[in-house]
Amino acid sequence: MTSQPPIISIEHISKMYEMGDEQVFALRDVSLTIRQGEYVALMGPSGSGKSTLMNMLGCLDTPTSGRYEFNGVNVNEMDDDDLAGIRNREIGFVFQTFNLLPRATALSNVELPLVYAGMKTEDRHRRAAEVLASVGLAERSGHRPNELSGGQRQRVAIARALVTQPSIILADEPTGNLDSKTGQEIMALFDELYKQGNTVILVTHEEDIARHARRIVRLRDGLIESDSPNGDAA
Amino acid sequence: MIRAGEIAESFRIAIESVRVNLLRSILTTAGVVVGVVLVVLMGWTINGLDAVWEQTISIIGKDMIYVDKWNWTGGGNWRLMEARKDISLAQVEQYVTRAEAPELAMPTVRSWGASVTVGNQRLGCSAMGVTFEYGMTPAGEIADGRFFNAIEDEQAADVVVVGHNVAKTLFPGGNAVGQTLKINQRPLRIVGVVEKRGFLFMDFIDNQVFVPLFTFRALYGFQGRSFSVAIKAGNEAMLNTVRDEAVGLMREIRNVPPARDDDFSINEMKAFDEQAKNIRLYIWIVGIGLTLLSFVVGSIGIMNIMFVSVTERTKEIGVRKAIGAKRSSIAIQFLIESALLCLTGALISFPISQLIVGSVQWSAVHLFDFEAATVVSPFIPLDLLGIAAVVAVIVGLAAGLVPALKAALLNPVEALRFE
Repeated sequence: MTSQPPIISIEHISKMYEMGDEQVFALRDVSLTIRQGEYVALMGPSGSGKSTLMNMLGCLDTPTSGRYEFNGVNVNEMDDDDLAGIRNREIGFVFQTFNLLPRATALSNVELPLVYAGMKTEDRHRRAAEVLASVGLAERSGHRPNELSGGQRQRVAIARALVTQPSIILADEPTGNLDSKTGQEIMALFDELYKQGNTVILVTHEEDIARHARRIVRLRDGLIESDSPNGDAA
Repeated sequence: MIRAGEIAESFRIAIESVRVNLLRSILTTAGVVVGVVLVVLMGWTINGLDAVWEQTISIIGKDMIYVDKWNWTGGGNWRLMEARKDISLAQVEQYVTRAEAPELAMPTVRSWGASVTVGNQRLGCSAMGVTFEYGMTPAGEIADGRFFNAIEDEQAADVVVVGHNVAKTLFPGGNAVGQTLKINQRPLRIVGVVEKRGFLFMDFIDNQVFVPLFTFRALYGFQGRSFSVAIKAGNEAMLNTVRDEAVGLMREIRNVPPARDDDFSINEMKAFDEQAKNIRLYIWIVGIGLTLLSFVVGSIGIMNIMFVSVTERTKEIGVRKAIGAKRSSIAIQFLIESALLCLTGALISFPISQLIVGSVQWSAVHLFDFEAATVVSPFIPLDLLGIAAVVAVIVGLAAGLVPALKAALLNPVEALRFE
């Protein structure tokens, strides 16, 4: 794996928030490299800085100091619109609460990133239908989120994350709102995506979920506590 | 760069949003509805007045000039005009003989406080002494019967031509011609009824009776009366020439020294245009004021609801940003929603305006017998609808600007965390 080029390379990153007069560091001098095709779990209790790190990796937020390169491009120097472009093309988000647009059909939800990518309508429909079929929801494309089960909603969200063929899939507690059986199904889908060569980053506080990954990065108090291959992984 | 797909997406979202919150949307647009209704009503009123006015002056004759002691439009110094010497019949006759430019020129004389009687019914009106040529001007056009002829004129015959209202009031059956009415106990035979011409501001015109000049003298006398010259230029292009000639001749005839102002006034139908313009201006000022007010109130309502909409959809904005929506995409989305909201208001106001305009026009004509209203269109003009729609959209864009910027500038992390 080490032969693969790094997708994510962060060096000495800190994130500081000002709360009144006090300065709070959510991340302190964190360095991390993630290569193409990796399956990484970011773990840690709440307040460990894992959400901040995830936001940083997902280009939703920028560090206070340090350097972040995404596919060799320096993200620190990007403005909001450039970051939006990176998120659109390179990053597929999967959220704990699915975050589908409630009034749009499954197909429209999956299409949305392509709308912002400027793809033509017919191409968009075709591509979104393909991806929706690949997560096993071809029959449900005309349904709205409230007509779908939790597992189905998360599959739609995963399809939305995949539709632009991003460099990484960034999943934030993707099973947190699902029962354990459905959670396992969703994790099986992530495992499958990994096997197909996708780079998957899971953010979780559950050991069971983290065990699916091939590498586990543990955070505590804004520092990386450990970063090791996952011996349990199949 | 904003892409067509994003715009289409924004329209879809906006329509959906307006549809889902239909009642809220309609209530929100109330201010805009009032504003648009006012714009449309104001425009329609001005158009209507123009139509009425155009009708009035075209009926009376755009190419008519009246030389009179008084300025009819009320301009000039009243005391100075009072001090002017009366215009005598001899002076008018001199002018009529010497003038070359006009098609027709004739003396007229008037008694305002006249009255006519039929049986024991008495009607106040104004009486004009005119020559038979008056029947050749637009003001003397006959609806029924004829104008008195040259012989009757010369012989000072006891004949009279009555205005529309006089005939209608005294002979509601419509058989005025051939009947006899009395002025100052003197019986006069009605030979004709003049076409209805009084409109809106000039109703008195239909309350007149016309008798030959010397019949007038027999009835009222010429003593202490100032004549005026009715001049028909022939066409509008001749107006300047005719006016200049009239001024020159009248100054000469009335011995006005070169340095002195005219001691008479030139009255033209066109001069009344000034008054019409003023009325139009007042309507504009009042209308624009009310419209601005309601649009300000309306846009505050729209802005408020857009802030609510942005807050309600903070999470959605976060999601959209996470999957790649740029600031401009988010801003456009809310601007379109706000503009669409106002456009909805405009669409609601069109039938309302039409209903008001239609019923006002209908009641003016049918219930209040207000004949001037017949020339006013009962429909709102299409160009006004277009203008109103454009104005509504602009108001929407303006009102939505701040909320849209607020949405566009939201931090995606915080927006996603919003519950």
